[in-house]
Amino acid sequence: MLEAKKDFEALLMGNDAIARGALEAGVNVVTGYPGTPSSEIVEQLAKVAEESNLYVEWSVNEKVALEVAAAGSYARLKSMCVMKQVGVNVAADSLLHIAEYGTRGGLVLVSCEDPGALSSTNEGDSRPYAKMMEFPLLEPGDFQEAKDMAKWAFELSEDIRNIVMLRSVTRLSHASGNVIMGELPKDRPKAAFEFSSIPMDQMKGPILAFPTLVDPLRRRQLEKLSKAEKIFEGSPFNKYTGPAKPELLIITSSVCKLYVQEALDILGLWERVGLLKLGTTWPLPSKLLEQHLGICEKIFIVEEGTPFLEDNIKALAAEKAKQVGIKTFFGRKDGTLPPVNELNPDLLIKGINFILGESYQFVSDEYKAKALEIIAAGAPVRELTFCPGCPHRASFWLINSALKLDNRAGFLCGDIGCYSLGAGPCGFSTIKILQAMGSGMGMASGFGKLDKFGMTQPIMAVCGDSTFFHAVIPALVNAVHNRSDMILVVLDNSGTAMTGFQPHPGSPSGAIGTRLPVLDIEKLCNSLNVRVEMGDPFDLKGTRETMLDLLEDGGNPRVLILKQPCALSPIKKGQKMYEMAIDANLCLADLCGCNKLCTRVFKCPGLIWDTQKEKVRIDEVLCTGCGVCADICPAKAIKA
Amino acid sequence: MDKNDKSSKGQQGININVLKQGLCTGCSACVNLCPSMEYYKDKTILLHDCNLDKGRCFTYCPRAPTDFEMLRRELFDPEDMVLELGSFKGLYMTRATNENIRTGAQHGGTVTALIQLALAQGIIDEAVLADNNDLLLPSAQPIADEDEVLEKARSKFVVSPTVSAFNRISRAGEGKIGVVATPCQAQALTKMKVNPVLEDKLRMEKLKLVIGLFCGWALDWRKFQKLMKEKAGDFKIKGMDIPPSNHACMEVYTIKGTIKVPIEEISNCVRDDCSYCFDMTCEFADISVGSARSKEGWDVDKGWNQLIVRTSKGAQLLALAREKGVLEFKKVPDNNIEKLKKASARKKHACLMNLAQKTGNWDDLIYIDSGDPVVRHIRGMNFGQQ
Repeated sequence: MLEAKKDFEALLMGNDAIARGALEAGVNVVTGYPGTPSSEIVEQLAKVAEESNLYVEWSVNEKVALEVAAAGSYARLKSMCVMKQVGVNVAADSLLHIAEYGTRGGLVLVSCEDPGALSSTNEGDSRPYAKMMEFPLLEPGDFQEAKDMAKWAFELSEDIRNIVMLRSVTRLSHASGNVIMGELPKDRPKAAFEFSSIPMDQMKGPILAFPTLVDPLRRRQLEKLSKAEKIFEGSPFNKYTGPAKPELLIITSSVCKLYVQEALDILGLWERVGLLKLGTTWPLPSKLLEQHLGICEKIFIVEEGTPFLEDNIKALAAEKAKQVGIKTFFGRKDGTLPPVNELNPDLLIKGINFILGESYQFVSDEYKAKALEIIAAGAPVRELTFCPGCPHRASFWLINSALKLDNRAGFLCGDIGCYSLGAGPCGFSTIKILQAMGSGMGMASGFGKLDKFGMTQPIMAVCGDSTFFHAVIPALVNAVHNRSDMILVVLDNSGTAMTGFQPHPGSPSGAIGTRLPVLDIEKLCNSLNVRVEMGDPFDLKGTRETMLDLLEDGGNPRVLILKQPCALSPIKKGQKMYEMAIDANLCLADLCGCNKLCTRVFKCPGLIWDTQKEKVRIDEVLCTGCGVCADICPAKAIKA
Repeated sequence: MDKNDKSSKGQQGININVLKQGLCTGCSACVNLCPSMEYYKDKTILLHDCNLDKGRCFTYCPRAPTDFEMLRRELFDPEDMVLELGSFKGLYMTRATNENIRTGAQHGGTVTALIQLALAQGIIDEAVLADNNDLLLPSAQPIADEDEVLEKARSKFVVSPTVSAFNRISRAGEGKIGVVATPCQAQALTKMKVNPVLEDKLRMEKLKLVIGLFCGWALDWRKFQKLMKEKAGDFKIKGMDIPPSNHACMEVYTIKGTIKVPIEEISNCVRDDCSYCFDMTCEFADISVGSARSKEGWDVDKGWNQLIVRTSKGAQLLALAREKGVLEFKKVPDNNIEKLKKASARKKHACLMNLAQKTGNWDDLIYIDSGDPVVRHIRGMNFGQQ
């Protein structure tokens, strides 16, 4: 991150390139909340924080992360705030106000998004925020641009004095490409917040979003946007490639540029098709677009997420209809491209063929069928499952058993974390509602008030320890205050496990490794004056009793904290609590009395069904020695 | 296997034909055989899906299709059969000679005395009895010590997991076991005993004595405890009874005094599955015991039991009780058999009507064979409008 000198060419992951770009810009304050595919940016910068004199923190949630970064900006430091697409929604309230006022030191919001929801519960597209809240949006189209535009984003932000959003996607953030390095700055700025002038003095006044100030603030904001547009007209990140009079003009942004390039290479259509790649997608550089819309009648807009570019370019084309003439648009809306999910070169080949009436097929149907056949026959079935020794498997075993035994059609509301898998077979399909961070607790708070309408089902919610701090606390407070009849189960595995074990307010150290005060979830819950129980998910017997007792003790919110570190946690890694062994003579296998409960229902990947001996055995490599399966086995054939 | 396979003779069969039909009695015959079925409060719970197409849960379930006529043939002397009452070697009125037993018991203390005798005489080494630590929610315990038997006395109005306790101890120990069972529990034990699957043959030989309890219905724990909470608050309940009278009430005895709960409120708490029960007098036992009815009235009767001897083993035990003087006998009023027959037939008839109503077909009685001779007899009887 720091060693690479100017002009050195290195293979960098997109997120590393963004981090390097921020360093080249001279970033001072870095904040974020972990979320795939964004997490590596903060992690990389945390590693060099000391050497580069950065302040880096994993904040409690994205809204606070943005506010902490904004404080840096208001103290005239260069600040960056990093999150995944859903985080922007969490930060949105502050984002609206920050954008309305503007910034002092450069402030860049990095949103790494996940078209196709490869590791998300949604396909959220944050780009419309730029339009809705009126600030500039940049979309790097390759790895070099990821670095260069990250650096430029700070310059732009300081130029127009407003927040700038840099939007990446999984295939940029998590893929790698060659990047030529730039210079790292040496200056060490001093932080101070000035408030000596009038509120409308952006650099020296107090920062106040008063109703009476909204009119002038918004006028000033729009001026900033116009200024950005003027800069964008000449930006090298907006680039046209192709003939002067193409048969088809493709307009794209982000990594879709790479898909289009590949499709045109394969089809050999560079002589006939033009490509306008935009790096600045809000505000649109209208003159540049007017000029290019004029060269061709057919316009194909290629983008992932919502039809953001498509709608905005269509609006612009309508505005400029006199100059550019009537156009035929192709894109996600007319079905030339699928309306949802990720794009790829194949889909673009199909789309371009459709528009141009060509029939070239890159992958023949015959080949496709054969490939599918081989995949089906050759690839082992791999279920989406918890890791071996994962405490969540035991926790869901317990919650599922408790709700079934309770026998009143009780159900579990979940949210986002590794434990989202509790909705699937590895979690015994226990979670019945799964949406946003902390939403399980909020919904449980709601369901727990429906008794007056005859609802008698017991309500449970789960959240992880990181999510508890992120979004559950207000929902829990709501349940306590409104006396909602529900049980919150905190699955405390000592870290933000799903995204790579980032620390949270319950952890003893922060992003840079310095020791920090630990916030105790049990004490926090106790302070709410509700029944709080602690349990170990590996103690199947004891914790089940506690859970059943909590289910009977209805009427008020109750909290159960199940504490057991993640199997991959640095505290645990490589250590086995028990050496597991099998007594094959006792194994009942598929006889009545067991029917392979361990490998058919419990299904820890550390247990293997030996199809030849027809007995269970331990996978010594995968088994973490948690010992839970010994309590699952009815015949005591599995020994801890 | 198809998840909705009605013909499954495994857990799916139980789920579709018994649990989902609302027929499960909570006898707990399927519990403690495998980890997939469990007992909680007063209900049998399907905890984990099992895809075996044959299982002991189905084989032993008294509400899975059952050939009762075959069970009667295997267990009893055909000469003794009375259509309304099952095997019948005689009706007696008895009570424990020991006054201490009578004081601690619901009625005459006959069951307590007989179990104590069986233990003392080595007929059995332990007895599975419903516990009365919590009268609203009895557990089931194996008792080997005669003196402890009395502590388990008194009627329970919610079912106990008696058969699951039998499953557990019959697998572990070596001794001879006696069980005090409700009709559904006794049916399950009989199915196990008569037709055990291979791995259960040995343990079923340990079952040496079944003392049955007359049973009109059992209460649903959740509904009943809610009602009791409303009526008795947090006061500890020491006992309950339903004396026969024109103003039918359940009397609940607490340290605060007796609380009278109108019978309609109690009826609302009766388990739904009890309306599909074909057996009031616990026909599949060696001896069946219930409360007594006589001319002298309830004040006298509540100190006595009625008892039907069904097997020669039962007859021997009763003879022994007479010989050892642990039971006192009194003359049974002449019309008591007829009254008992009528009451039993009435319950059987209601059961058949309810089953037929469920299927819409008198020839499909779910778990009871419509060709069973008792069924044919009861169907021919006329009870008028009920």
